[in-house]
Amino acid sequence: MALLSIEDLAISFETDEGVVDVIDGVSIELEEGETLGLVGESGCGKSVTALAVMGLLPKPAGRITGGAIRFQDEDLTRLTSEELSRVRGDQIAMIFQEPMTALNPVHRVGKQLAESYRLHHPDASKNEIREESLRLMDHVGIPAAERRLDEYPHQLSGGMRQRIMIAMALSSRPRILIADEPTTALDVTIQAQILELLRDLQSEYGMSIIFITHDLGVIAELASRVVVMYAGRVAEEASVESLFKSPRHPYTKGLLASIPRLESESKSVLPTIPGVVPSIDELPVGCRFSNRCEFAQDQCTHAKPELEQASDGRKIACLRWRELEQDVAVSA
Amino acid sequence: MTSYFVRRFLLILPTFIGVTILVFTLTRLVPGGPIERMLNEAALAGAEGGAAVSSGFDGRGGSVLSDEQIEQLKRYYGFDKPVVLSYFDWLGKVATLDLGTSTRYTEPVWETIKSRLPISIFYGVATLILTYGVCIPLGIVKAIKHKTAFDNVSSALVFFGYAIPSYVVGIACLTLFAANLEWFPLSGFVSDDFDDLSTFGKALDILDHAALPLIAYLAGSFAVTTMLMKNSLMDNLAADYVRTAIAKGMAFRKAVFAHACRNSLIPLATSFGNTITLVITGSFLIEKIFNIDGFGLLGFESLVERDYPVVMGILVISSLLFLIGNILSDICVAFVDPRVKFGSGGSNQ
Repeated sequence: MALLSIEDLAISFETDEGVVDVIDGVSIELEEGETLGLVGESGCGKSVTALAVMGLLPKPAGRITGGAIRFQDEDLTRLTSEELSRVRGDQIAMIFQEPMTALNPVHRVGKQLAESYRLHHPDASKNEIREESLRLMDHVGIPAAERRLDEYPHQLSGGMRQRIMIAMALSSRPRILIADEPTTALDVTIQAQILELLRDLQSEYGMSIIFITHDLGVIAELASRVVVMYAGRVAEEASVESLFKSPRHPYTKGLLASIPRLESESKSVLPTIPGVVPSIDELPVGCRFSNRCEFAQDQCTHAKPELEQASDGRKIACLRWRELEQDVAVSA
Repeated sequence: MTSYFVRRFLLILPTFIGVTILVFTLTRLVPGGPIERMLNEAALAGAEGGAAVSSGFDGRGGSVLSDEQIEQLKRYYGFDKPVVLSYFDWLGKVATLDLGTSTRYTEPVWETIKSRLPISIFYGVATLILTYGVCIPLGIVKAIKHKTAFDNVSSALVFFGYAIPSYVVGIACLTLFAANLEWFPLSGFVSDDFDDLSTFGKALDILDHAALPLIAYLAGSFAVTTMLMKNSLMDNLAADYVRTAIAKGMAFRKAVFAHACRNSLIPLATSFGNTITLVITGSFLIEKIFNIDGFGLLGFESLVERDYPVVMGILVISSLLFLIGNILSDICVAFVDPRVKFGSGGSNQ
């Protein structure tokens, strides 16, 4: 059984134009010890899905309207916020995109680190907490930890701040770590360091990671399985190798085609997916990708494509994926 | 940071001189003054005296005093010298903590001011405590209960108070609660028999007299601070680090107090140092309505009466307090916000 399973999750947001179904029937399973990549353009619902798992949807605008999030025999969507507080930060931890704003600017780093440890170890002594904080900081690769404890977030570099966030998340040895674009705001070299750190920590702690990003390069490096989301629905799910080798959903194809490649002719035009992700109050009926899809037909604008299981274990939500597959086979 | 504050303190002196020079010069340029007042008084006394009119009248513009006497008076008040010279005379005296003598009360200016201090400090401190004591908790509750009935009703009340001029509130309260219902005394700071009361009775007596003026002072002062607190807290509640705190497993309510509140106080801290000026605050209108001998009334009356030494004395105290208050505000901000670094010495980014 999966460690965490999101089943047919639906989330609606109240906007000025009325209630909008931002997440529409998303199902994702996370296995013990695996790294799951969650990919998609900005605004596709990756972060909202993750926040829903944590019970952190913006209130009162966002609301879970259907489905379940099962974790250890419990449906997280049915817990009170008090019950959820026992899971949050303890069993499931999360790190965010902007380590600068995610840390409180007026509290010392040591205090914020100690706080997350104390929340789940209420009986810990001061010394114990300090020891543990230093150990954690050392563990996530922060040099001169003793001195850093007394510094404020603005005195640290972006990479160091993200390491502090990771240290806070690890303080209770969570089963699941949700990383919401943790490297997007960092320099490329620092990105690589943080990814390396996450990989090491994962094998050491044996935790599962949900890694949210729009950077397919990062996914290739870190994840074992990928869920591609588009406009609040899952478009495709596959192992990293098979997804990169043979993307099936037209959206995934477009995403992969728009990665610049060394072997392509220099100065040639980089392929892009025409148009932009529709805003949440203008979602197309039927397949939500239909207005940007080069393969879209009449049926795509009426019928909602269900997530179908292919024979090789991959899942695709496209009305025409079988046809398109054959076309490729024929033309090849 | 130290060098920044040293510089700020050194800047007090030129600013102070600038302010006082300006007002000192103005007192020389505007019509009226102690001599004219004396002439008027003498003329009045002469008119009443009947026979004295002819003896004092010397046929020159209706003045009752001789040129010599006027010269004497001018010398006495320092009006015989050019503005600049007498300004430096005055400044020299101020440097030795001598504010001069009131032309109206003929007693040292400091004594006149000192006698008003307890009353003004009482109202200043009471207003301060009540304003912050009400506004901060109210702002917090309003932010958490944003758009609920409580939030809407309290906003309406606060803005209602803000919209009415304080003297109107004062007059309305006085008419209703003191004159018609007779719940509170009509005026004054204490009762006539104050000295005979017990300590508890004295406290009660002061509160009895202070209730209505305080309402007048406070009615309009809740809106700004409450809304500032509310909006600033709402910004911080939506901030990423509050989400982080909850993601760590902290309860929302606790996250509000442990994380959002201190950050929300930063905008309030930017003006907190200026509360040092509270000893000289006090609206002369409210003091006039409730017949309170405070600073506001003293300042207003000394202006009307052209009691320049008192005017200048009040200016010295208020400008110094204001200048120091600004620096204190800076210190407060640096105290609550570790990111604030003044001057060039502290950048750690």
